[in-house]
Amino acid sequence: MRRALLLWCAAACAPAAELQVQPEYLRTAPDGEIVAADRAASGHARPSALAGARLGYVSLQVIAKLSAPGEYSLEFTPPSGLEVDIFREWYHALERQKTYYPDALAPVRMPYRSRLPEPDNRIADQKAQAFWVDVWIPGNAHPGDYPLQFRLASAEGSAQVTVPIRVLAATVPDRDVVAIDHNSYGSSWIGDLFERERRRIGKDFYRSDAFFQLIHAYHRIFYEHRGVFHQLGYGHAGKVGPEFAPALEGSGRGKHVANWDLFDRHYGPLFDGTAFARTRRGARPVPFAYLPINPEWPASYLWWGQPGYEAEFVNVVSEMDRHFRDKNWTSTRLELFFNHKKRYMGFPWDGDEVRFPGDNRYFREYRRLLRKAVPADSPVKFVFRADVSWDMERQSKDLAGVVNMWICGGGILSWYPEVARAMTQRGDTVWFYSGPPGVTQVSAKITEFPLQAWLWGIDGYVHWLTVSAGPDPWFHFDGGGTALVYSGERFGIEEPIPSIRLKIQRNAVQDLALLDGMKSRRPAAELRAEAARRFNGSRPQDWWNPRPPLADRPPSEWSNGAIDQATAQTRKMLAKTGAGSWENVHEFVMQLAEEMK
Amino acid sequence: MKPMLIVLLAAAGALAEDDRFTRELDDAARVASVMVDGDFCRNIVTARAMDYMFRDDLRDRFLGGDNYEVNYDAFDSVKKTLIRVSRLVSFPADANLWMPIPGHPDKIRVVIRNANELSQFWPWGALFQNMIPEMKTVLETGRRVTVAQKPGWVSVLAPVSDSLGDIVAVVEVASQRQLDPHENVK
Repeated sequence: MRRALLLWCAAACAPAAELQVQPEYLRTAPDGEIVAADRAASGHARPSALAGARLGYVSLQVIAKLSAPGEYSLEFTPPSGLEVDIFREWYHALERQKTYYPDALAPVRMPYRSRLPEPDNRIADQKAQAFWVDVWIPGNAHPGDYPLQFRLASAEGSAQVTVPIRVLAATVPDRDVVAIDHNSYGSSWIGDLFERERRRIGKDFYRSDAFFQLIHAYHRIFYEHRGVFHQLGYGHAGKVGPEFAPALEGSGRGKHVANWDLFDRHYGPLFDGTAFARTRRGARPVPFAYLPINPEWPASYLWWGQPGYEAEFVNVVSEMDRHFRDKNWTSTRLELFFNHKKRYMGFPWDGDEVRFPGDNRYFREYRRLLRKAVPADSPVKFVFRADVSWDMERQSKDLAGVVNMWICGGGILSWYPEVARAMTQRGDTVWFYSGPPGVTQVSAKITEFPLQAWLWGIDGYVHWLTVSAGPDPWFHFDGGGTALVYSGERFGIEEPIPSIRLKIQRNAVQDLALLDGMKSRRPAAELRAEAARRFNGSRPQDWWNPRPPLADRPPSEWSNGAIDQATAQTRKMLAKTGAGSWENVHEFVMQLAEEMK
Repeated sequence: MKPMLIVLLAAAGALAEDDRFTRELDDAARVASVMVDGDFCRNIVTARAMDYMFRDDLRDRFLGGDNYEVNYDAFDSVKKTLIRVSRLVSFPADANLWMPIPGHPDKIRVVIRNANELSQFWPWGALFQNMIPEMKTVLETGRRVTVAQKPGWVSVLAPVSDSLGDIVAVVEVASQRQLDPHENVK
């Protein structure tokens, strides 16, 4: 123990060139100091070794520091039997806050040679460069301690540090206990983010193999981080992107699929799992995907309420069912989902977040049409998804048996525990939604969502937008409230690259899978209570809000201000989340995992 | 001499093609003025939604959008007519409905959009916006106006009258010479 602590601080004691080691939850700035958001957690006690279970990751940060501008190199000795990925942390310039935060992670190879200030990050007084280190523990790794050694060389001198990695006998379950979804809209943003690739290929970019490989790379990066990726393929007035739907021909009873080419190139590798063949988690079909169905596709809205609408809908959806069977695409849950809102003037009803109860009749009609199109014994998993908020309580009752996948606004769901319970008890899938926390919030903020889903006993969570980092995330960053991955093109990588927040989220989801797997040894309620207590001193019931009086009035009378007031209790409780909150839960999970020997 | 002739012929061909593009949109817009029922248009957006549209609440920036609602039958009736109008054109085009706002002569709003999500004027997501001068001309004069402000775009604006003969709306029949299949898929 004493020896390990000595190793941890060896770098800090070095006179000039320094190597520091920080846990995953303490991010550092270009001067090497802990960023303001995480600083309060810097006094958190550190373990003698970084512990992890097999088939899981252990993460840390290594910071190279020089006192004056100059060249340096960083190399490491990987522990035999473990796999190590190293990323350079990019310091994003936040204009409004006039500061820098690290987030994007550019993969680097060791030895890494560069200079401070890093030429491409363009920070005049940069004295430190942080590296994110992911240690993957394969399933066949032997339990025990593994030394991970880093060495820094520079004209100022050299430094080295050794981090002990403790591999436990426990194994992280393959299946996640909560699905963490990462949403996006359309695919024009891919051409914007990978402009060089788009220019290289030219006008056929959106039909090229490179384009589909990029889509698959987005699915892969989220999958490797124990998440799900969704890409909605149509607009609010019904325009469908060509790669999201088969091409159609004809009208009325003659309407049919004319061409599956782009659809199959897009979805084939996702539905059969081959897009994930070379991942650590292994090839597996995506668990969920949006269908292109909307009020204007496959049936034209011209025929709504007339026989032609049903004919066009049933013809094409039946063909889809047969095509999926032929291809054996029967693992993915295919979501009939309506995203449109009447405020965008495409259709007269809200598919997304119904507020006016008259709109619910459309859901019943589409369930009827779906039943007519797809035989009850079809092995293809069509599900009816609805994203609900205002009218959630009524919809959960009126649309029982119609909708079977519910994506609930987190604030409003927080005062309806019985709604969540009723939905899950009848076997429906239940997620809640919000958005990614920005980089200036405490590092553990992103772990609140998977924990909340697990404490609530529901199936998952959706970050509503995760691929939009703004026009210039590198030097004029908007904070990352709509992005958890970045384009790698700046670093010569024609794929998305991850973020620190995505890594922290992955490690939390991994811990939850492990923790939930211990329900056979300890009562689930006890595990939940202890996790909540360790996270921020709360109790599981504190994660719900009391039913407010406004819930008994029609949703058309509610205002967003009143909803905010009605969720004040949980906001206050979550204000206590600190950078080290998840570390406390992680320690609990590791403690239980060690007991599993 | 020969290359010059080829260039001239090609230019003349392109112009003729341009003419056909604009002419088809104009023909459809002319039909829209006859077919779209102004009384139905007036009934689309509810009085309650109109009341909320201009309310300001610093604590609730979505107040107007969250309270936006329409009368289903009036919306469907006009939307179906607009879809038929757009099908008069031999290439992808949309017929969108725009209406002035009583008491706000400097504002205009889009009321119905269609499946190609084509409009030269709608900033995505706006419930209402500043009056488009060309639409003002249509509302005041009853004449069709062709607008080609954005490169590659053509919109023909046509008046819509109610049963009293008052001009109450504008139909924008719009298309783009080079369609972007991915734009507005969001």
